[in-house]
Amino acid sequence: MTIPRAPGERALDLGARSGILAAPVTAKPTGNGLTLAGVRKRFGETTVLKGIDLRAEPGELVVLVGPSGCGKSTLLRCLAGLETPDEGGIHIGDRDVTRLPPKERDIAMVFQSYALYPHLTVRHNLSFGLELRKAPADLIRQRVDEVAGMLGLEKLLDRYPRELSGGQRQRVAMGRAIARRPTLFLFDEPLSNLDAALRTEVRVEIKRLHHQLGTTMVYVTHDQEEAMTLADRLVILNGGLVEQQGPAIDVYREPATRFVGAFLGSPAMSFLPAEATETGLVVGDATLESPTHHRGPCTLGMRTHDVVVDAEGPLELEVRVVETLGHATHAHGLVEGQPFVARLQGHERPAPGDRIRLRPVYMHLFDAESGARIVR
Amino acid sequence: MKRALTALALVLAGALPARAEPLRLWHAYGGAEEVALREAVRAFERETGQEVDLLAVAFGAYLAKLESAIPTGRGPDVFIDAHERLTTYVDAHLVAPYGGEVPASLEGEPLIPLRTEGRLYGLPLSLKCAALYLNDDLVPEDPGSLDALVATPVGEDRFPLVMEAENGYYVAAILHALGGELLTPTGEYDFQGPAAETTLTWLAEQVGAGRIPDEATGELVQRLFASGRAAAAISGPWLAPDLPEDLRWRVIPLPPLTAGGRPLEPYLTVEAVFAAADEARSPERVAATEALMRYLATGRGARIRAETARQVVADAAAWTSPALADDTFLRTFRAAADTARPMPTDPRMRMTFVPAQRALRRVLRGGEAPADALAASARTFADDTRPPPAERDPTLALVVFGLLLLLLVGYWVHRVRDPAVRVALLDSLPAYRWVAHAFFAVFALVILPLLVGAAVSLFAGRGRDLHYVGLANYADILTARGGDLLGDRSFYVVLGVTVLWTVLNVALHLLVGVFLALLLNRPKLRLRGVYRVLLILPWAVPSYVTALAWKGMFHRQLGAINAILEALGAEPVSWFAHFGTAFAANLATNVWLGFPFMMVVTLGALSSIPDSLYEAAQVDGATRGQRFRRITFPLLVPALAPAVVMGAVWTFNMFNVVFLVSGGEPGGSTEILVSEAYRWAFTRGQLYGYAAAYAVLIFGILALWTRATVWIGGRKERRVRRARDAAAKELATS
Amino acid sequence: MKRLAAIGVHAAILLAVAFALYPVLWVVSLALSPHESPGAIPWPTEPSLDAMREVVLRTDDEGRYLFLMQTGASLLVAFSTALVAILIATPAAYALSRFRFVGKDASQQALLATQMFPGVAAAIPLYLILDALGLIDHLGGLTLVYATTAVPFAIFQLKGAFDTIPRDLEEAAMVDGATPFEAFRKVVLPAARPALAVTALFAFMTAWNEFILAATFLSREEIFTLPVVLQRYVGEHRAQWGHFAAGAIVVSVPVMALFYWLQRHLVGGLTAGGVKG
Repeated sequence: MTIPRAPGERALDLGARSGILAAPVTAKPTGNGLTLAGVRKRFGETTVLKGIDLRAEPGELVVLVGPSGCGKSTLLRCLAGLETPDEGGIHIGDRDVTRLPPKERDIAMVFQSYALYPHLTVRHNLSFGLELRKAPADLIRQRVDEVAGMLGLEKLLDRYPRELSGGQRQRVAMGRAIARRPTLFLFDEPLSNLDAALRTEVRVEIKRLHHQLGTTMVYVTHDQEEAMTLADRLVILNGGLVEQQGPAIDVYREPATRFVGAFLGSPAMSFLPAEATETGLVVGDATLESPTHHRGPCTLGMRTHDVVVDAEGPLELEVRVVETLGHATHAHGLVEGQPFVARLQGHERPAPGDRIRLRPVYMHLFDAESGARIVR
Repeated sequence: MKRALTALALVLAGALPARAEPLRLWHAYGGAEEVALREAVRAFERETGQEVDLLAVAFGAYLAKLESAIPTGRGPDVFIDAHERLTTYVDAHLVAPYGGEVPASLEGEPLIPLRTEGRLYGLPLSLKCAALYLNDDLVPEDPGSLDALVATPVGEDRFPLVMEAENGYYVAAILHALGGELLTPTGEYDFQGPAAETTLTWLAEQVGAGRIPDEATGELVQRLFASGRAAAAISGPWLAPDLPEDLRWRVIPLPPLTAGGRPLEPYLTVEAVFAAADEARSPERVAATEALMRYLATGRGARIRAETARQVVADAAAWTSPALADDTFLRTFRAAADTARPMPTDPRMRMTFVPAQRALRRVLRGGEAPADALAASARTFADDTRPPPAERDPTLALVVFGLLLLLLVGYWVHRVRDPAVRVALLDSLPAYRWVAHAFFAVFALVILPLLVGAAVSLFAGRGRDLHYVGLANYADILTARGGDLLGDRSFYVVLGVTVLWTVLNVALHLLVGVFLALLLNRPKLRLRGVYRVLLILPWAVPSYVTALAWKGMFHRQLGAINAILEALGAEPVSWFAHFGTAFAANLATNVWLGFPFMMVVTLGALSSIPDSLYEAAQVDGATRGQRFRRITFPLLVPALAPAVVMGAVWTFNMFNVVFLVSGGEPGGSTEILVSEAYRWAFTRGQLYGYAAAYAVLIFGILALWTRATVWIGGRKERRVRRARDAAAKELATS
Repeated sequence: MKRLAAIGVHAAILLAVAFALYPVLWVVSLALSPHESPGAIPWPTEPSLDAMREVVLRTDDEGRYLFLMQTGASLLVAFSTALVAILIATPAAYALSRFRFVGKDASQQALLATQMFPGVAAAIPLYLILDALGLIDHLGGLTLVYATTAVPFAIFQLKGAFDTIPRDLEEAAMVDGATPFEAFRKVVLPAARPALAVTALFAFMTAWNEFILAATFLSREEIFTLPVVLQRYVGEHRAQWGHFAAGAIVVSVPVMALFYWLQRHLVGGLTAGGVKG
C-alpha cells in the first residue's frame, strides 16, 4: 500500500525543530500550482463568488484576505472540495478537481475551530488521515513522531483535545495537516482564536513551516497584518470579486483601489477629497504638488508614514488624540476637516489641540467615483 | 391460501403415522390451579399420546389476546374461561360449539349456562361462588343470619364481617335474597327499586357503624381475615390458599340477611373449557380437542383438579371419591353452588358492575341517598349500553376521500413539473438514502397502525361487528351524546381535567426538577454524585410498578400515607373518595415519576452555561438572586422549552398513572382523555369506534397545541433576531 | 452563615431523596414480607426471601428455570430493540441534522405526530401487520415493533445531539481523506457516543417495560417478557402482591444498573432537542 505522493515530493528533514529559526530555509518549492478560472458560487439568492480568477505558483504562500462576507472562506471551501462551484474550474497542478470530492484532492486543511476529533488522542488525530488511507503502521508512527517533533507535541501525544490549551490545539491542527504531506495546504483563519502574543509566534512558525516544507499554501484571514507578513502572493477579496492580487509588497505599495488602500496598513490609510487641477492638487484650502496628469475630482490617500512633519508643509493636522508607541507616535486628528492619522518620530509628542504642519512624501490617488487607482 | 396450506399439511400429517401436532391450551390460572391443570394435561398426554402445549396468559390481556389471535389462526385449540363471557365470545366468533358426546356426570345444573341459542359451548370444569368464611375462635357457632353475625361482639379493633361492600359481584348475593337483581333476563339494568335500596341501606348502616370495613378491596378482605382482625369474610374459594396455616377457620354457605329470610344467593361462575373457533380444523383434530376437553372436565382430570387445587369440580362422578366426600370445604362450596344463581351470559352483565360500584361508592363513601345514587347508576348504564349510531352509506365518504386523493396526486404532479422542485428533489436524493429505511419502518409499524386505528373512528358497534357511521362518533362526543355539555363524562369536562392535569404536572415537574438541579449544581456540594443517582431512581423503575406501589400507599386502611398521617396524629384520608384527593394522589405519583427527567435536562442545560458569565455578573455586583434572574433563567428557558413541549405531550397521554392509581375514582371524575378512551374501548363494552374518535380528538388537540407553541416560539425567535440585527446595525454605524 | 446555607441545601436534597426513595423502599418491603402490608416505615418486620425465591426459581414441567429464560428473553428483546432503534434512527437523525431535502419538515412533523397519537387503538392493526409478516409469537417481531415505536423519539434525541457536533469535524475528516460515510462513522458517531448511549437506554426501557403488546403477541411462556410474567401475579380474584413486588425488583435492577452506568452521560446526552418541529 503506498501513499499517493505529488511529483517531486521529498523527504522531510527529520527532527528539524530545535528552535523556530534554526529550521533550514532552503527548501525548494514543491507541491502543485493552483489555477482558478471564473469560479462562481451562489447560495440560494445570494451570489457569494462572482467570478474569481486566481493563479498560484508551486510553493507559493497565497493569502486570501478581505472583510467578513467577502467570500474568502467560501473560496477556500471550494478549493477543499467542501463546496462545488456553480461555474468555473479549479485546477491543482494540471488536474481538474472542480468536481472531485475532498478526499481525492490530496489537500490538507487547518480549520478556524481546529476541528480536532474530540474522541481521539492527539496521536490519533495526527494519524487519522494516514489511517484512512491505510498507510502501513510503521510509516504512520514515523510520520507522527516526525510531526510531533516538528511542532513540539511529543509530550501531548496521549492527551485528548479537551485536555489541551488553545495554542496546543492549534499546533495539533497544523500537525494533522502536515502529517498527511499533501500537495496543497489550506488554512482557514487558523490564528483567530489565539491571543495576540501567541498569534505572532505561530505566524512566524507557519512561515518557517512553509519554508521548511516548501508546499503550496492557501491561507485565509481577515487580518491585514497577518496577510502582509505571511503572503508571497496577496489576494484581496471584496464582495465576491478579486480586488487585487500580487506580491504583498506590490499590493501594499500600489493598491489598485481605494478599498485595498484602506484595507492594508494599520492605522488605516487616511483619505482626503481632492481636485486635480492645472495648478496642482487642491485639498480644501491647501494646494499640493500634483503627482498626476489626471484632472478632476479625486480622492487622496495617505498612510501614516506618507507624511513628515515640516513647518513649511502644506497640510495642517489638528491633533485630537496621541498614541505613543515608543519608536513612533501616532497623531490622530483632522486635516481639512477630515480624519487623518500621521506617524511622527518617537520623540515628537504633540499635545491634543496642537496644530502640526505636514508635508506629503507619497500620495495615492483614487478616482473619486470608482475608487480605482489613478496612475500618473 | 394459507388456510389451504395448513389444511394440506394437516392432511399429510394425518396420512403419515407421525405424531400429531400439539394441541394448544390457554388459561389464566395461577398458583395451585395452574399446577393442577398442568398435572391433568400431562396425564392426558400419557394416556392418549397427544401432546398439549399449555400457555398461562395474564388475566389482563386474556380477551385482547384471544380476540387478535383466534381470527388469524394463531389462537389456542382450547381455552379456559368463566361462562359469563360466553356470549361475548360467541358474538365475536371466537368459540366453536361442542359437538362431542356429553359425559353423563356433567349433565344438570352446570351445563345450563354453557348453552346459548340452543347449542352447547364448552364443558364445565369448576363452580365458583361466594360463601361465608368463619374464624373458629371468634365465631364458634354458625350464625343464623348476617344481622346476627354483625351483631356478634368480637372485641376492639376487630370487624365482625369483612366483604367487598362496593363490589356488585358480592353485593348481588344480598340483592338476590331480597328479590332484586342487577340485570333482568332481557338485559335491562335492574339495580333499582326497593330491594336495591334496602341492600344499600343495610350496607351503609354496617359500614357506618364500623361493623364492615369501608373501602374494602379483595386484598383487605384477605389481610383482615388472615390476621384474625375479621371474624368472618364473604369470599370465594380463592381466599383459602392465602390463609395462614395456624388460622382456624371454616366455611358455610351464605346465611340469610335476617333470621328466617331467604338465604343470600351469590353469583355462580362456571369455569369451563371451550374450543376455539377454527373452520380449518380437521375432524381428527376436532376429535382430539374434544377428547382433551372431556378429559379435563371429568374423570381423572376432575379428580386431579379437585385434589391438587381444591377446585369445586362440576363432574358429579368425582364427588363419589372418598377424598372429596370428606372434604367439608369443597362440600360446602358445592352446596353453595346449588343455591347460587348462574351469572347471566349477556355481555351487558359485565357492564352492570361499574355503574353498580359507582352507586355503592356514592352511598358508602359519599353518604348519598340510595335512591339518587341508584338512579344515577341507571343513567350511566344506559349511556354505556346505548345503541350504536345508525349505519350510513359510505359512498359519499368514499367519493370525498377519492377526490382528496386525486387532488393530492394532482398537486404533486403539478409541483414536480416545476423545474426548481425537480432540482430540489434531485438534490435530495442523497439524503433520502439516509432516511429511507427509517421512513419505511416507521410508516409500516407506527403510522399505518395509527391510521387504521384512526379510520376505525368512522365505524361503530361492539367488538368486531362494526358498521360505517360517518362522523357520528365525533358528533356524539362533541355534543356529550345529547346530554349536559358540562355533565358527567362530558368530553369537555374530561378535557378540562386533562388540561389541569397536564399544566399542574408540567409546572411541578419544572419546579421540583429545576430546584433540585440548581441545588445539585452548587459547585462545592458534597455527595453530589450519590444524590444525583438517588434522585434519578424514580425514572429507572418501570412506571407500572411504581404506579401500583403508589396506589397501595394511598390505600385507605393499608396505605403508608394514612399510616404516616395517623402517626402524626391526623385523621386518615379516604384518598379516592373525593376528586381533590384522588387527583392529588395521581399528581403526586406522576410528579414523582417525572421530576428526574426535568432535573437531568436542567442539569445538562446548566452545565452549558459558562462560568465566566457568572463571574462577570459577580464583578458587576449582581446578587445571587439577580444572577439567577438575569443569567440562569433566561439561558435555561430555550434549553427547557423542547423538554416542556415533549413532557406536556407525554403527560397529556399519561395513561398508566391515572389508570392504575385512581382508576378514574371517584366516579370517573379523575379520568383524563386517554384513560377515558381506554374505558370506552375495553371496560364499557368495546366501543372501539368511539374510543378511536377520542384518540383522534386527542391527537388533534395536541397537534394544535404544538403548532401553537412552535408559532409562539418562532415569533419570539424572530423578535430576538430583529433586536439583535438592530443592535448590530447600531454598533456598525456608531 | 455559609455553613447554615450548606445544611439547608443538604436538608432540602435529603427531603427530595426521601420522596424519591420511599415508594421504592415500599416495594422492597412488600417483596420481603409478602404476608403483611408495609406500614408508615417501610421496613419488613420478618424479612423473608420466599416470594423472591418463588418468583425467580419458578420452573416448568421439564425443570427449566422459566424466570431465568424469560429474563433472558427480556434482555434479548430489550438489547436488540436498543440496537435496532439506534440503527434505524441514527442515519435518519443525521440526515435531518445535516441535509436539506424535500419533505424534511413534513417528516419531522409526522414524527412528532406519532408521539401524540395514543396507541390504544393500534394494537389490533399491528397484530394483523405482524401476522402478515409472519412475526407473531416471535421475539424478532416484538423487537421490530418496539424499535420502531422508539424510533421517533430516538430521532429527535439524536438529531439534537448531531446538531451540537460542529460540521467542521466532518469536513476535517473529509479533507483528511474520508468519504462522507466514513466521516459519519469514524468522527460523528464516536463524538455522539453519550447521546447514543442515552438514546439506546430509552429504547431499552421502551421494550423492557412494555406489557400489552408483549402479552398479545407472545404465546410461548418461555419467551414471555418480564412485565407479562409480573402481570400474571395479578389475577381476576386474587393478586399476589408480594410476588409482584419481588418480580418488580428483579425487573428494576437492570434498568437501575444501566442508569447508574450511564448517569454521567445522561446529563448532557439528553438533548430533547429538535422537537420544535
